Amino acid sequence: MGVIELDRLEVRLGGRTVLAGLTGELRGHAIGLLGPNGAGKSTLINTLLGFHEAAAGSAKVLGMDARADRMRIRQSVGYMPENDSFIGNMTGVRFVRYMAELAGLPPAQALERAHEALFYVGLGEVRYRKISTYSLGMKQLIKLAQGLAHGPKLLILDEPTNGLDPNARQRMIQLIKDIRKQGGTQLLISSHLLRDIDETCDEVLILNKGRIAAISNIEEERRSHLNFIELEMAGSTEAFVEKMRSLGCECASFAGGRVKLVMPDALSPRDLYVTAAENGVQIRRIQLRRDSLEDIFLRAMDYEGGRVEHVSV
Amino acid sequence: MSVFDHDYRPYEGRLTSLSSRPLVLARYAMNEAWSSKISVGLFVLGLLPCLVNLVIIYVADNPIARALIMRGSPSFSIGETFFLQVLETQCWFALVLAAWIAPRLVSFDLSDNALPILLSHPISRFSYLLGKFIALAVFLSYVTWIPCLTLFIYQCYASPVPWGMSHLRIALGLFAGAAAWILLLSMVGLAVSSWVKWRVIATGAMFAVVFVPAGVGGIASAVLRTKWGLLLNMPVVMTELWQRLLNAPSFMNSRMDLPTPAIVSVLIVACMLCVAVLNARIRAREVVRG
Repeated sequence: MGVIELDRLEVRLGGRTVLAGLTGELRGHAIGLLGPNGAGKSTLINTLLGFHEAAAGSAKVLGMDARADRMRIRQSVGYMPENDSFIGNMTGVRFVRYMAELAGLPPAQALERAHEALFYVGLGEVRYRKISTYSLGMKQLIKLAQGLAHGPKLLILDEPTNGLDPNARQRMIQLIKDIRKQGGTQLLISSHLLRDIDETCDEVLILNKGRIAAISNIEEERRSHLNFIELEMAGSTEAFVEKMRSLGCECASFAGGRVKLVMPDALSPRDLYVTAAENGVQIRRIQLRRDSLEDIFLRAMDYEGGRVEHVSV
Repeated sequence: MSVFDHDYRPYEGRLTSLSSRPLVLARYAMNEAWSSKISVGLFVLGLLPCLVNLVIIYVADNPIARALIMRGSPSFSIGETFFLQVLETQCWFALVLAAWIAPRLVSFDLSDNALPILLSHPISRFSYLLGKFIALAVFLSYVTWIPCLTLFIYQCYASPVPWGMSHLRIALGLFAGAAAWILLLSMVGLAVSSWVKWRVIATGAMFAVVFVPAGVGGIASAVLRTKWGLLLNMPVVMTELWQRLLNAPSFMNSRMDLPTPAIVSVLIVACMLCVAVLNARIRAREVVRG
């Protein structure tokens, strides 16, 4: 069962088609929803939560239909909206407790989980302050806390790092990584920032102008690009290249001691240093390809047709 | 999760039933309503007329007290007209309370854009409104039918002659009249508060919604020489309804009496308008046209 299943999903708002025939299945543990502003990311999230009716097609979340089972979906989902969304004259702990009770927790358990969630996101010290007095970063964190308090199976984060300074952003990313690592909660993270998605997700759905531009498994992309290495070396590289070829690498050497190679999975970067030492050459610089998501995104943005491109290695 | 470990764990305990979730909203809304000192002040003020009426009933039913206090003045009886005045007084206090409290229940949610988060939980828009409605209705009950029926029960107890069973119609009328007013006030209060995000303006708008159409209706009646303009006059419409429910004598010229079906229709139309406003305003997302 996929986390998100879309079948020719079409959503129209105010007479305008915002999502046009989305089809695809997402199975990743942390799914990134990527696209430029206005691509339809938030509309897709709102449709999954049952806020918008699909004009055609269907969407499923955790195997439940977004139209027919919206209450069951909301029971299983924690949602952190993009914009400010809270009750300003409530204290942090009261707000999170309120949201947990709405999610079905009995009052005592809701209070306990509210305290825990606030400590977990780092708002423990300010939990008795009114939310209206919080900074922007704190407001983002309290939205995350209320989304977590009832222990959802799927946590939907809409632009979680919006408006955060670098430190707060790093903290938010670290929290998301922690949640992912714990393994109990799947994540759907919407962002227009490649870096956020790259750091936190293992699968990505790229939207452009209301259509799916690409669905890709970032982990696989990362693995393949991890094996592509560029070297700058000092000394004669011929023997080194021959040796690497004999070990199963695809190699190409260039002027100035530059060598590009694709290593088989059995080899590790350490083997490069060992081979270089054996052949009397120095490795001055080594570069692993790490911009896989950017490649995927740029390829997807070039795409203008109606066909879904499953970006492959 | 644990406060000490600072790590995350899923919740595996029991969950409350879906049908009980509006009561969570109602409970938090009640707390919000009572959290204001002005609410408490208005509530106490709303009960003062009841104390005065309690003394009046005591004096009317106690010959010694009547002789001491009235000193030969013509005696008065406790009946439909007396309870109609009690109900009218309490219901207009209820309007003041609703104008103050209703915006507190809804405007905070709207001004901070809390609806997307609230409605992302397993509650529908109807449940959300039901929760707020329950809170408002309970609060207004404290100053309307509960004190009115308390006075009725006291009159049954204090009357020197058997009184209660022969005047049961008054008790039913008090409850039904107050319930109709609470329903209307709650609907109008929620609709106005959902439309006007600024609380002070919403409070003013509540009075405007009741009294501006009354003025327009009065002008229409005078210019067109018809009684139908009175249908826009909510105080007149409600007073006529209460009179009929309590079987009290009419205070209006018989030519100006409004037929009961017309009164009921006006109340239904007013409630339908409120439902339409709430349907348009209580959404997790605003629909962008274009």
